[in-house]
Amino acid sequence: MKEQDPVVFVIDDDRMIREGLQSLIRSIGLRVETFASAQDFLIAKRPDVPACLVLDVRMPGVSGLDLQLKLSDAGIHIPIIFVTGHGDIPMSVRAMKEGAHEFLTKPVRGQDLLDAIQKAIASDRGSRKDRQELNEVRERFDTLTPREKEVLNLVVAGLLNKQIADQLGMSELTVKTHRAHVMEKTNAESLAHLVRMSEKLKNSLRR
Amino acid sequence: MQTGFASIKLALLHYSLAIMLVSLALAVSLALQTSLGNPFWFFFSVAVILSTWFGRAGAGWLAVVYSTLAVMYYFTPPLRSFSVAPSELPFFLTFVGCEVGVTRLIAWRRRVDDALRQARDELEARVAERTAELKNANDALLRQMEEQKRTEEALQVTRAELTRVARITTIGELTASIAHEVNQPLAAVVANADACVAWLSREHPDLVEARAAADRATQGATRASEVITRIRSLISKATPEKSRFEMNHVIEQTVALAEGQASRNNVTIESDLSPDVRHVLGDNIQLQQVILNLLMNGIEAMTTVTDRPRKLAIRSESQSGGQIRVSVRDSGVGVSPDVMGRLFEPFFTTRAKGMGMGLPISRSIIEAHGGRLWAESNGSDGATFQFTLPSGDGPAS
Repeated sequence: MKEQDPVVFVIDDDRMIREGLQSLIRSIGLRVETFASAQDFLIAKRPDVPACLVLDVRMPGVSGLDLQLKLSDAGIHIPIIFVTGHGDIPMSVRAMKEGAHEFLTKPVRGQDLLDAIQKAIASDRGSRKDRQELNEVRERFDTLTPREKEVLNLVVAGLLNKQIADQLGMSELTVKTHRAHVMEKTNAESLAHLVRMSEKLKNSLRR
Repeated sequence: MQTGFASIKLALLHYSLAIMLVSLALAVSLALQTSLGNPFWFFFSVAVILSTWFGRAGAGWLAVVYSTLAVMYYFTPPLRSFSVAPSELPFFLTFVGCEVGVTRLIAWRRRVDDALRQARDELEARVAERTAELKNANDALLRQMEEQKRTEEALQVTRAELTRVARITTIGELTASIAHEVNQPLAAVVANADACVAWLSREHPDLVEARAAADRATQGATRASEVITRIRSLISKATPEKSRFEMNHVIEQTVALAEGQASRNNVTIESDLSPDVRHVLGDNIQLQQVILNLLMNGIEAMTTVTDRPRKLAIRSESQSGGQIRVSVRDSGVGVSPDVMGRLFEPFFTTRAKGMGMGLPISRSIIEAHGGRLWAESNGSDGATFQFTLPSGDGPAS
C-alpha cells in the first residue's frame, strides 16, 4: 500500500461492531484503523492522507459529538460519518451543523456505509487539494514586497495603471514593473487568475 | 289448634261418631240378645272407649249418656221404658259407674297422649328451629370466610401487580438503554454479514475473511438473544422461586443491564466483588430487581453532579455469622436527614416521575429473604444503600 492511500478511521466501543466494520471496509480495498474510544483516536499518530472517520455517537467517556467539537477546535479537518442507535433530530441537527458528513442509523446497511465512506474520502481528497493549493498561493503571495502588495490590491480592485500611479504617487512605468513582478511571483496566468487567487486567500483569512 | 268453623265441624264429627258407635253397639246388642243373653256391657263399653279416644271427653260423655239411656230403655226391666226397677238398680248403677270410669280413664289417657304428642311435636319444631338457626349461622360464617378469602386473593393480586408495575417502571426507565443493548449486537450482525457477503462477492472470494465475518455475525446474534433472555426474565410475572445461585454472578448480570443507563449519564460503575461471597438461597430475579433498583437510584442521584466524578461503586463482601453484604455507594446529591427517615415509606419519592415504590418493595424482598436493607449518608457526598442476606452455603435447608 502506498503512503498516499486513503484511510478510514472507525471508532466504536463495541468490539464486534468494530471488527465487522473493519472487515467490511477492508473488503473494498480500503485501509482501516479502529479505535475503541475517542481518547485512543486523539492520542494516536494519524497518517497525513485522505481519510474519513466513522464514529459512534454514543460512547462512554468522550462522546462522538464531543470528539467532533474537539477536532474542529484543533483545526483537524476530517469528514465524519456518524453512526447512531437512535438518531434523534436535535442530535443530528447539531452534528450536521458542526459539519458531519453523513448521519446513519444503526444497524447500518453495508452498502450505505461504503457509499458514504467513498463520498467522504472523495470530499476529503478535494478539500485537501484545495487546502494544498491555498497554501501554495499563500506561500507565493508571501514573497511579495509591501509595495507590490499595495499594487496588487489596487489591481484586483479593478484600477487602471494610471489611477494606481496617481494613488500611490509613482510613475505609471513603476506600476507596470511592480505589476509584472506580481504576476511572475504569484504564477498568475492572467489578470482573472490573479483576481481568483487573491479572493480565495481573502476568504480563507476571513473565515 | 283449630278455631271457628273448623273446630265446630270437628266437634260435630266427634259427637256424630259417638252417636254412631253407641247406635252400632245398641244394634249389635239387640241383635245378639236372644243368642248370647245380655252382652251389652261389652259393646257399650267399646263404644264409650272408642268415642272417648277418637272424639275426646265431650263425645265420651255423650256416649255414656246415650248408652245409659239405651240400656235403661232396652235392657233394664221394666223394658221399653226409661225407668229402672229397684231390683235392677245396683246392676244398672254399676254399669253407669263402669261407663263413667271408662270414659274418665280413656279421656285422661288421651290427654296424656295428646300432651306427649304435642310435647314431641314442639320439641321437633324447636329442634328444627334450632337446626335452621345453626344452619343460617353456618352459612353466614361460610360466606364470611369466602369473602375474606376473596379479599385476600385480591390483596395478593394487587400486591403482585404493584411489584410488577414497579418492575416495569424501572424497565420503562431502562427502555432506551435496552434498545441500545439489543441494537448493538444487531448492528454487529449486520456489519459482519455485509462484510461476509462483500468478501464472497469479490472477483477472487476470500473465504478466510468471509468465514471470520460470518463467525462474528453468529456471535452478535447470540449476544442479542442473551440480552433478550435477560430482559424477559426481568419482566416476567413469575412467582418467587427459591434456588441457590452465585450472588456475584447476579450482581454482574445486573450491572451489565444498568451499564447503558450509566454511560448515558456519564456514570462509571465500579464493581468490587469479593470471591468469598458465594451462594445465596432465594429468588434471583427478585434480588436482581433490588440491585437494579439501587443502581438506578444511584445513577439518578448523580445526574446533577458536575464538580466530582460520577462514580457508582458496588461491593459484595462476606461477613461473620454467615452473612453476605452488598452495598451500592454513589457520589450523588446525598440524602437529607428528614428524607432519610421516609425513604422506605411507600409512595414517598423525591423524583417528579418516581412512584415511590422501588425502595419499599426492595426492602420487603430483602426481608422476605431473611435479610436487611438500609441506607446511610456518606457525609459530604452521596449515600450508600446496602443489604445483608444469609449466605446459602450452609447446610441445605
